[in-house]
Amino acid sequence: MGEGATAVMSGLTFDLEKLNQTYHMFNDMAAETVPGEDESIFQFSAKDNLCTKDLQARAGSRILEGYRPPFDATAVARLRSAGGVLLGKTNMDEFGFGTFGTNSGYQVPLNPFDLKRACGGSSAGAACAASVIPGHLALGVSTGGSISCPASFCGVFGLTPTYGRVSRYGLIDYGNSLDKIGLLTMDVGHLRRFLPIISGADPRDPTSCAQPPLELDAEVRRVVIPEDSLNGVDGDVLETFQTAIEHLSHMGIEVTTMPMPALRFALPAYYVLATSEASTNLARYCGMRYGERNEDYNQHFDPYFSKTRSRYLGQEAKRRVLLGTFTRMVGFRDRYYMKALATRELVISEYAQAFEEHDLVLTPTMPFLPPLFADIEGMSPLDTYKADGLTVPPNLAGLPHLSAPCGYVDGVPVGMQFVSPHWTEGRLVTMAESWNGAHPPMRPEVIL
Amino acid sequence: MDIETVRNVAKLARLELSDEELQTFCNDLNDILEYLSMLDEAPDVECFGFNPIPVADVLREDEVGYDVDVDSLREMLTTYQGWVRGPRLS
Repeated sequence: MGEGATAVMSGLTFDLEKLNQTYHMFNDMAAETVPGEDESIFQFSAKDNLCTKDLQARAGSRILEGYRPPFDATAVARLRSAGGVLLGKTNMDEFGFGTFGTNSGYQVPLNPFDLKRACGGSSAGAACAASVIPGHLALGVSTGGSISCPASFCGVFGLTPTYGRVSRYGLIDYGNSLDKIGLLTMDVGHLRRFLPIISGADPRDPTSCAQPPLELDAEVRRVVIPEDSLNGVDGDVLETFQTAIEHLSHMGIEVTTMPMPALRFALPAYYVLATSEASTNLARYCGMRYGERNEDYNQHFDPYFSKTRSRYLGQEAKRRVLLGTFTRMVGFRDRYYMKALATRELVISEYAQAFEEHDLVLTPTMPFLPPLFADIEGMSPLDTYKADGLTVPPNLAGLPHLSAPCGYVDGVPVGMQFVSPHWTEGRLVTMAESWNGAHPPMRPEVIL
Repeated sequence: MDIETVRNVAKLARLELSDEELQTFCNDLNDILEYLSMLDEAPDVECFGFNPIPVADVLREDEVGYDVDVDSLREMLTTYQGWVRGPRLS
């Protein structure tokens, strides 16, 4: 950790060490101090799975202890070029494998609105920093909802762009066909200011090279809620969401419902694809190339690789590697992996139909309030996966989406999630700005 | 999925698991696979790709170039006389 690191935001100075002792949002921090007078200079954080030259990149995993990349991820490099100073690397579920931020190999970030509750995952530290530090910009990464979920639980805006809008170069992969780099902030103006900076084609990531120009000016008039999406949503979240719908109507936005039955297949398809891709991506962590090193070179490569992986990967990482290895095995590949690819297309078509007559699709972001840590301990892995039911569909389909704070229950935030067609992030930025104008988010009381 | 299948999958994934871990993961994976079987009910789709958006090939000029300094990469690995060290292959 850097000594004397401070955040200078909105004219206020924060001692990051002290903040981190309370909230555990950073895994590694820079020692830089920046005077707050030059407005072109801004401070930002990057999720721990984004490579940066001067800090560790451990992706929340013990297996990457000590790994210091010799290069910057494109998104980080672009923010630095625009005058950004990197404050630190934010804590996360190991490799993005989690819904609550509790699967970090390091400390567990605590919710700024109630320290007994989770921040949400996997960009837990990013959402926490965005909530606690005024004016903060946090780079997050979403594979199945890892920006929306913590944004909702920590009461900030979380914008996940279209798959391919932001280069993934320098991102420690979870699922290559699903990973998306985006923004978390309580300052809605940051979305319009910084999304164009991190977006754009990058020859180092071919999936970023097919994108059309980013258009930020758009209109939102018609929003649709998938009929079945509210089943299983807790009563207090539902009540807050219904009130938000009334507010949207008062803003002149027409809100209707329609059946979108294919969305129910998104969650199983996602867990097949995400774990399949993760199990191949994690094969590189074997004790030889990154982080934790196995120096016993007299061993055969099989036990050599297995030893480091077994010792340093966490339980959820092992579970997902096992699942992803199984669903790609001969005899099971067609039933799981190929079927999941086909199902993704089905989900994309379902959304396309909804967008024929509507500008955005709307749901609550999460089906319940940020859970207490004590309650998370009692959840099975499958229970946890099912909690992603509302955030996974747009992520599977590569669609841009936004979680916006839409109300509070006993002082704890609730989020709503807007989804828009591929490459139409402008609708989400416009929606965020309109909503923020009428219903600005509440700040948590910062504990030092 | 029985314990032996989990043991085999773990071997392929290069994970050494204790008996207790094998049992826990066996139970978890059976729960999860039962849920994933919902995919059997999803209607079939004729055309699909590996990405959610169309992806174009990107070609660059055929010129030698390095994104990252090779020496700095070598410094991050265990080397012997300039060669990267690794485990035995046989």
